[in-house]
Amino acid sequence: MLGESDERGATVGRNWSPGVPASRMKLKEIDRTAMQAWSPAQNHPIYLATGTSAQQLDATFSTSASLEIFELDLSDPSLDMKSCATFSSSHRYHKLIWGPHKMDSKGDVSGVLIAGGENGNIILYDPSKIIAGDKEVVIAQNDKHTGPVRALDVNIFQTNLVASGANESEIYIWDLNNFATPMTPGAKTQPPEDISCIAWNRQVQHILASANPSGRATVWDLRKNEPIIKVSDHSNRMHCSGLAWHPDVATQMVLASEDDRLPVIQMWDLRFASSPLRVLENHARGILAIAWSMADPELLLSCGKDAKILCSNPNTGEVLYELPTNTQWCFDIQWCPRNPAVLSAASFDGRISVYSIMGGSADGLRQKQVDKLSSSFGNLDPFGTGQPLPPLQIPQQTAQHRIVLPLKKPPKWVRRPVGASFSFGGKLVTFASVRTQPQQGAEQQLQQHHVRISQVVTEEEFLSRSAQLQQVVQSQGFVSYCQKKIDASQTEFEKNVWSFLKVNFEDDSRGKYLELLGYRKEDLGKKIASALNKVDGPDVRIKEEKQESEFLPSAGGTFNISISGDIDGLITQALLTGNFESAVDLCLHDNRMADAIILAIAGGQELLAQTQKKYFAKSQSKITRLITAVVMKNWKEIVESCDLKNWREALAAVLTYAKPDEFSALCDLLGTRLESEGDSLLQTQACLCYICAGNVEKLVACWTKAQDGSNPLSLQDLIEKVVILRKAVQLTQAMDTNTVGVLLAEKMSQYANLLAAQGSIAAALAFLPDNTNQPNIVQLRDRLCRAQGNPAPGQQESPKIPYERQQLPKGRPGPVAGHTQMPRVPAQQYYPHVRIAPTVTTWSNKTPTALPSHPPAASPSDTQGENPPPPGFIMHGNVNPNVATAQLPTSPGHMHTQVPPYPQPQRSQNGWNDPPALNRVPKKKKMPENFMPPVPITSPIMNPLGDHQSQMLQQQPSAPVPLSSQASFPQPHLPGGQPFHGIQQPLSQPGMPPSFSKPNIEGAPGAPIGNTMQHVQSLPTEKITKKPIPDEHLILKTTFEDLIQRCLSSATDPQTKRKLDDASKRLEFLYDKLREQTLSPTIISGLHNIARSIETRNYSEGLTIHTHIVSTSNFSETSAFMPVLKVVLTQANKLGV
Amino acid sequence: MVSVINTVDTSHEDMIHDAQMDYYGTRLATCSSDRSVKIFDVRNGGQILIADLRGHEGPVWQVAWAHPMYGNVLASCSYDRKVIIWKEENGTWEKTHEHTGHDSSVNSVCWAPHDYGLILACGSSDGAISLLTYTGLGQWEVKKINNAHTIGCNAVSWAPAVVPGSLIDQPSGQKPNYIKKFASGGCDNLIKLWKEEEDGQWKEEQKLEAHSDWVRDVAWAPSIGLPTSTIASCSQDGRVFIWTCDDASGNAWSPKLLHKFNDVVWHVSWSITANILAVSGGDNKVEIFQNKKFKYTWRESLSYIWPKFLLETLFYNQKGSA
Repeated sequence: MLGESDERGATVGRNWSPGVPASRMKLKEIDRTAMQAWSPAQNHPIYLATGTSAQQLDATFSTSASLEIFELDLSDPSLDMKSCATFSSSHRYHKLIWGPHKMDSKGDVSGVLIAGGENGNIILYDPSKIIAGDKEVVIAQNDKHTGPVRALDVNIFQTNLVASGANESEIYIWDLNNFATPMTPGAKTQPPEDISCIAWNRQVQHILASANPSGRATVWDLRKNEPIIKVSDHSNRMHCSGLAWHPDVATQMVLASEDDRLPVIQMWDLRFASSPLRVLENHARGILAIAWSMADPELLLSCGKDAKILCSNPNTGEVLYELPTNTQWCFDIQWCPRNPAVLSAASFDGRISVYSIMGGSADGLRQKQVDKLSSSFGNLDPFGTGQPLPPLQIPQQTAQHRIVLPLKKPPKWVRRPVGASFSFGGKLVTFASVRTQPQQGAEQQLQQHHVRISQVVTEEEFLSRSAQLQQVVQSQGFVSYCQKKIDASQTEFEKNVWSFLKVNFEDDSRGKYLELLGYRKEDLGKKIASALNKVDGPDVRIKEEKQESEFLPSAGGTFNISISGDIDGLITQALLTGNFESAVDLCLHDNRMADAIILAIAGGQELLAQTQKKYFAKSQSKITRLITAVVMKNWKEIVESCDLKNWREALAAVLTYAKPDEFSALCDLLGTRLESEGDSLLQTQACLCYICAGNVEKLVACWTKAQDGSNPLSLQDLIEKVVILRKAVQLTQAMDTNTVGVLLAEKMSQYANLLAAQGSIAAALAFLPDNTNQPNIVQLRDRLCRAQGNPAPGQQESPKIPYERQQLPKGRPGPVAGHTQMPRVPAQQYYPHVRIAPTVTTWSNKTPTALPSHPPAASPSDTQGENPPPPGFIMHGNVNPNVATAQLPTSPGHMHTQVPPYPQPQRSQNGWNDPPALNRVPKKKKMPENFMPPVPITSPIMNPLGDHQSQMLQQQPSAPVPLSSQASFPQPHLPGGQPFHGIQQPLSQPGMPPSFSKPNIEGAPGAPIGNTMQHVQSLPTEKITKKPIPDEHLILKTTFEDLIQRCLSSATDPQTKRKLDDASKRLEFLYDKLREQTLSPTIISGLHNIARSIETRNYSEGLTIHTHIVSTSNFSETSAFMPVLKVVLTQANKLGV
Repeated sequence: MVSVINTVDTSHEDMIHDAQMDYYGTRLATCSSDRSVKIFDVRNGGQILIADLRGHEGPVWQVAWAHPMYGNVLASCSYDRKVIIWKEENGTWEKTHEHTGHDSSVNSVCWAPHDYGLILACGSSDGAISLLTYTGLGQWEVKKINNAHTIGCNAVSWAPAVVPGSLIDQPSGQKPNYIKKFASGGCDNLIKLWKEEEDGQWKEEQKLEAHSDWVRDVAWAPSIGLPTSTIASCSQDGRVFIWTCDDASGNAWSPKLLHKFNDVVWHVSWSITANILAVSGGDNKVEIFQNKKFKYTWRESLSYIWPKFLLETLFYNQKGSA
């Protein structure tokens, strides 16, 4: 804009200079006295054509004329219009219009420029040729008219039809496709007059209106080829300078009068043609031109000899806007068809100005120059910026900042009638407005302004699968779920994964894993048998055995001890002198391996180990390394160095032999090797290893790597497996399951986000990991809780807010009356709670005997909000909601550390005494120090039991260690914390019940044990002197213990044995209560009834009595032992002992 | 699948121009040509009028909720050239600030990502964009970009808060070095991207040209962890473009035509997961597009295309019901 380059950058900062206007309502200027025509609405960019006005009255009296085309470039802040082309014309123009006909000729510009000349001529120009600089720009020309052609209009329905008007009442209809012969709309009106205006109806294509300076308007029907109505107020003072049809209402039109005595705009409705519908008397002198906005029928521009440009609402007569102009008259005014806010006005002072109707500053540069010295700011803060302006150092550069108010009423095109916005939870807010017809404007019908809130769901399958998963988690129907997944699996790998996952929920999981890997024990047994048969045949074997047995008794007889010089003799001598070492060496030397080993065993541990080593060094068979590993218990060696093709075998070996404390690590190791070294197929198999290892995080990583897409369904694929695996791990290992790794947390929150986006807020909440302090997860949780319509999570207990609260002016920091206000709390206070979960879990898993005697009604979980999340799966470490609840510490002294930040996910759904819940408990494997690995072959002859016990005794002192290893967390619930003094009767080492050590002998020495693990109390071994059980109740103890023993002796699978073991221990609670005599008579008598039914082996009756007791008694009284009693009864019933 | 779960009778006496839910989706703010702003509690399918805010002297075009960490704060802009910031105090809503720095209709307001503080961008028909930053103690600092869009700015939309480069590089405890950006669309048919310089000045970073008529709305897609930036724009010309930028410098934007409508398109809105776009246009029509190829991890190809998938079309007929 004429040198003001600082406006171009538009980077005016805070202290923006007052000399620069924020914006102008005047956009562009062209120094021409010319008729003007905007390019049609279809055309982009916007052009303005100007043709030298025939009425030009400039000082030069020049007769030259030109047709020019300018481009309206609004991104250029300067006032100059960009000139695109100039064509020197031999004509001057009375009228110039730009019709869209013949669009798409070529180039950017299209349509046809139609000019009305001085001598009855109509000329058609090709604007694209003008812009291209062609010399031949005239398409056609016709001189049929008489006198100056002042009126031209293009039919908007048939753009090839152009109407023109000239002197002598001449009206022609031109077909641009057949320009030579125009038509007439009917007989000429009499008396002959000049036609000053002509306009096609905007609604009905065959209706045309014409008007003349004498004040009459005629409406023509081209179908009838005659005038159908004449409009006149008979005042004889209307000198029509303008005629325009209503853009929307077919029967309405306005006429403008040039007469200073009647400077009005009349609004007519042809249905009431006797008098104007409305008269607009806003101009002081005659009106020279009018223009009705096609974009908003409530905007009519008019300019007059009073030098005003007004914008009025012809439907009401109200002036909406007055354009600030100088004192010159405007003789032509036009709306830009494409940009509805833009208009142009041609004035007699030789200028065409382009304005915006949207207001802004009136400060054009010229204006500014005029006003330069006029005044300075009267107000130190004219822009309401809240910042006083700096002192004015160069006052002459400032100008008055004249703000032109925008239209009183916003134009239609800025009134957004419809909208749709997404919000949290996949909700879509929409509204729309009814189109009101202007003619009904007066009788505004009762409109209802509604806003709709819709739920947008795009992932139906995803949602249904997610719901299924939740349902499974809730109902604990993992096995059947996995089975369904197996059945539905499309790929072998998928099937394998689900099979592995399923095994986790079955007894003897390791054995089942082995089966999945192709090692079925029965099959193997058969194979071995047949292999043996092949060699010897069954008869031979039996015979041999017979021989042996026949031989052995005779061993008691005399035999010859040879001391000859041969090897035998030397061995004999060595043995006789107790020199086992030499004897063994001799045997080895003589390749008598079996003798060597036997002797080495007799020679003690050290010798045996040496002998084994020598044996392995000597033996080179294919399976030596395996045997080595088996004997040396060096599974790491296998896992680390096996050929990856043999990963199955390696995994099988680990499954068979590894101790629980190393099992996971070994599976992990194998998985990691597969992942990093193997080919792509093996990489995916790593997933299976991680499933065995229960390593959720690694499974996620491996899976993510192996699966390509992460669309909702593939995310669902992953989450299903992860959730099931976590459940499995929680059930079986209770180890590290509560900590959510970074990757898993990311996936889970992605998943939660996706669920939320589909409107499943509750499900999202259920799946969101709650024991992480990742801010995005914490915030998502808060958002989900509130979206559910609940108060912020944990608000009752301790206010939480996932972000630091910021304050607005005058805002009170804390919660105000608004219920949604959140109290201000330092952000870091938010996090500690999330650390607690692991502790809780650890505690509850470690101390299966530490059942609280308080009713869970006191549990904080019951103080949660009115809408707890669905009992879905929450990533708490707790194995089982039911058990978890029962084990929640509820003594008041622990409440403060236990307060859950959010509605308690562990909340029991089915009741505390749900039997399956208890079945799960003993399954927890996290007792590595008590696990009896396959007994090494070092002691095939030595007393295996003794060896066991010595091991156990050695390990005993270290029992509590794993607990304290988590000392980084608060440990309010450690068994050592004595929350249940006096009630808890830890079983001290010597006082182990008989059942305790029994299972240890179960497996033959050296046999794989797998899941067979024993629980040992990790409680302090201090001796507590107990009162004796009253004699009359002793029968209960003996009956129950006897029953457990009977069950134990007939139970075959280790799983059951463990359950029974555990039950035996838990029944101590009952015995304690008997000692304390705290049980109510009802319960006591019920227990005696059960005992009697046990005596009669009527276990089902016992169970019925049990149920009765439980349903009628106080929870706190019986919760510690009744569930186990039920387990025992159930087992007894099952085993039929 | 789109199912109406709540129909709120706003009792506005004239056209509604905007309706926005708060951060949690529990409250609805509406504004209208009747000059009022209303707030409804819409939890559990209800529609309880909480506030009827009067203060504007012209039609109110847009409302915008601030992030809840700043309390319950709502901004509104109007044809009366004013921007009003409303705040709930002690359970009642009142005006907390009035910004009168524009010479014409203020058409759009948009709060910056909450990580930056409380910053409001306002686009006006006077062609300027102003940025209000709350500086504490009831003070708002104003920065103004003059002549951002000739004839007027119709829409402003902030880029999500993304830290350039890796997140891991950020020294912990230090305030992340965000680069603030927003997009604006205007009557000059342009979309412009603005970036805050180190000296705090706003500078035009990019001009995106594809529309041949007024840009009615721009919407910067929420960040979902992809390095790709995405902007949707719609125009008077009936076109909706999806602009994407994959390169680190953030300057190579390419448009893809999502759809060409026969009528003006007024508004575009992204779902939170940035894979669904709601397009509302003339003829009272709302169309919902879903990007079926949309991926949820950064591992996916950076230059994702937008396979047009018309999910649903909601028609409002003359009587205003679907």
